[in-house]
Amino acid sequence: MAQLTQFTITGITVGMVYALIGLCFALVWKSSGVANLAIGGLVLIFSWFTYGMVVQIGFPYWIGLPLVIIFALALGWLIERFALRPLIAQPILSLITVTLGIEFLLEGLTVFIWPWMVDALPPVFPPEPFHLGQAVVAQAYIWAAVVSLVLFGLLTAYFKYNKMGIAMRATADDQFAVQACGIPVTRIFSNAWMFACVVAAIAGILISWIGGLTYGLVETGLKSFSVVILGGLDSFIGCIIAGPIIGLAENIGGGYLTPFIWGGLKDIIPYIIIIIVLFIKPYGLFGEVRIERI
Amino acid sequence: MGLPCGTHNYTYAQDMAIMRTKTHWALLIALLVLLFTFPLYGGGYWLGVANLIGITLIAAIGLNILLGYCGQLSIGHAGFIAVGAYTTAVLTNVFHLPFLVGLIAAGFIAGFIGLIFGIPSLRVKGFYLAIATIAAQFIIIWVINHLGITGGFMGIAVPQASIGGFVFDSEAKMFYLIMVIAVLCTFFAKNLARTRIGRAFVAVRDNDLAAEVMGVNLFYYKLLAFFIGCFLAGIAGALLAHWIGFMNTEQFTLSESILYIGMIIIGGLGTALGPIVGVIFIRLLQQVLTTIVLPLVEAAFPALPAGFTSGINPILFGVIIVLFLVLEPRGIAHRWTLFKAAYRLWPFSY
Repeated sequence: MAQLTQFTITGITVGMVYALIGLCFALVWKSSGVANLAIGGLVLIFSWFTYGMVVQIGFPYWIGLPLVIIFALALGWLIERFALRPLIAQPILSLITVTLGIEFLLEGLTVFIWPWMVDALPPVFPPEPFHLGQAVVAQAYIWAAVVSLVLFGLLTAYFKYNKMGIAMRATADDQFAVQACGIPVTRIFSNAWMFACVVAAIAGILISWIGGLTYGLVETGLKSFSVVILGGLDSFIGCIIAGPIIGLAENIGGGYLTPFIWGGLKDIIPYIIIIIVLFIKPYGLFGEVRIERI
Repeated sequence: MGLPCGTHNYTYAQDMAIMRTKTHWALLIALLVLLFTFPLYGGGYWLGVANLIGITLIAAIGLNILLGYCGQLSIGHAGFIAVGAYTTAVLTNVFHLPFLVGLIAAGFIAGFIGLIFGIPSLRVKGFYLAIATIAAQFIIIWVINHLGITGGFMGIAVPQASIGGFVFDSEAKMFYLIMVIAVLCTFFAKNLARTRIGRAFVAVRDNDLAAEVMGVNLFYYKLLAFFIGCFLAGIAGALLAHWIGFMNTEQFTLSESILYIGMIIIGGLGTALGPIVGVIFIRLLQQVLTTIVLPLVEAAFPALPAGFTSGINPILFGVIIVLFLVLEPRGIAHRWTLFKAAYRLWPFSY
């Protein structure tokens, strides 16, 4: 029983972080219709950038984190301005491939600057774990879940009440109509990328507090595609529900099934979920089913 | 299609012919002679590079049929190549079957695995399919790593290729085996594009709903594209396995899959010339970079950071893919067509 509670809590909290990474995807997809496959690279480079700021340069977190956010904003702007904007109105294939190119570039940059591959961020949370019943949970997990939830709430409120947020939703709905209303669509795209990068940065920092800095962060980014596929590509609420589901499936499934099948099952469960969802309900739980016309 | 001055088509067969003029034929024969005498003057190292280019070309032609003609994005191509490589490795090493059986079985099994992961393409496209194939890549590699019979993380040795009693035991012999298959594949792909199947693929790529209304069976043609694409990937994998002689899954990473997409985009999607140019461009660049440029740079600047050698490759290829998509999305093949047109019309460019 203790084991089950343990798996459940770990699953839900890690799932919240996956949801956050999924959110970063949905942000871009919703506003500009670009499938951002570079998430893995983004999560990786922001985590290592934090390492560079906090460990190598030695800033305390309260200086380091704002610097990371600024870097994320700048990188998001750069990517949108120089890679995505020239490709507006190109086929989706080009848009997907260009993000793959960016992924390549970001991974290369990270290897270039931090070639030793494994490290850890200095802990910010006290090492004493929480005791929930018989389960023992490190504080970093709980905080990760809390931060994810808060960020999710903030973003939802932003999209509901802020003028720019409403404009972003409108852009997702109909780009031409929005342009006709005098909203600068390119600035919306640019904002979406900057936001997405900031969310990716925060998710990256949270996940590296939990699991350390490795190149596995790229796979964490890739795994979170299962979140957006399960939740539905254009749905925030889908992300926040699908994230914990994926986390639970990964931890409970990995925990109980590994003795029966093969090792490493935990890492493969999200991909199996992707295939199953695509077979059964390709637009996900909350995704908008697209009806196409010629 | 512009034809040289004075060349006219009088029959339908003439109009459809790939080789239209005597110059075409002369150039083709010269190219083939040049290609097949390469082992005589190419050194051992460059022969190895040529073999790698040939194998990559076979896989890239498969991806070009799938992605360039039929428009179905696959980011798991390295996974399908791995299926082919391990099929032949297991068949020839564990079951001691002949090489030809392994080669053909590799193609078919990779093709069938491709069919399974291609089934979602019926209901979804674009990004969803990209994700499905990324999932395919990871699932395939995981299964191979844990299957037991494939040698798992330890890798598996693959015997040398042999047909009858003839063993392909040198780079030069492998070169002929690989190049014959690569030339056949190029010919096959070029002709496939001109048949009903090829035109159906293009119709599916350009607008699948319109294609369906016109009577193109989407289910059949999408899966056929997946099968052909993955079949060729399997053949390439089998050749790779017999050429290297040892397989482990580290040769089939997601980066490799992305690089394959990069190759055919740089070459030119949906053209016969594209994969050839793209593969030669990327593979030569890799070789030149790792064997010539990097040692020079390292000798010139001893104080380089430690990550320079391992990091410069992905950085460069990422930049190249992005630049090509932004500046010349139709690839080098398109530039070549433009050049030919300009050359034909020179000096009166209208």
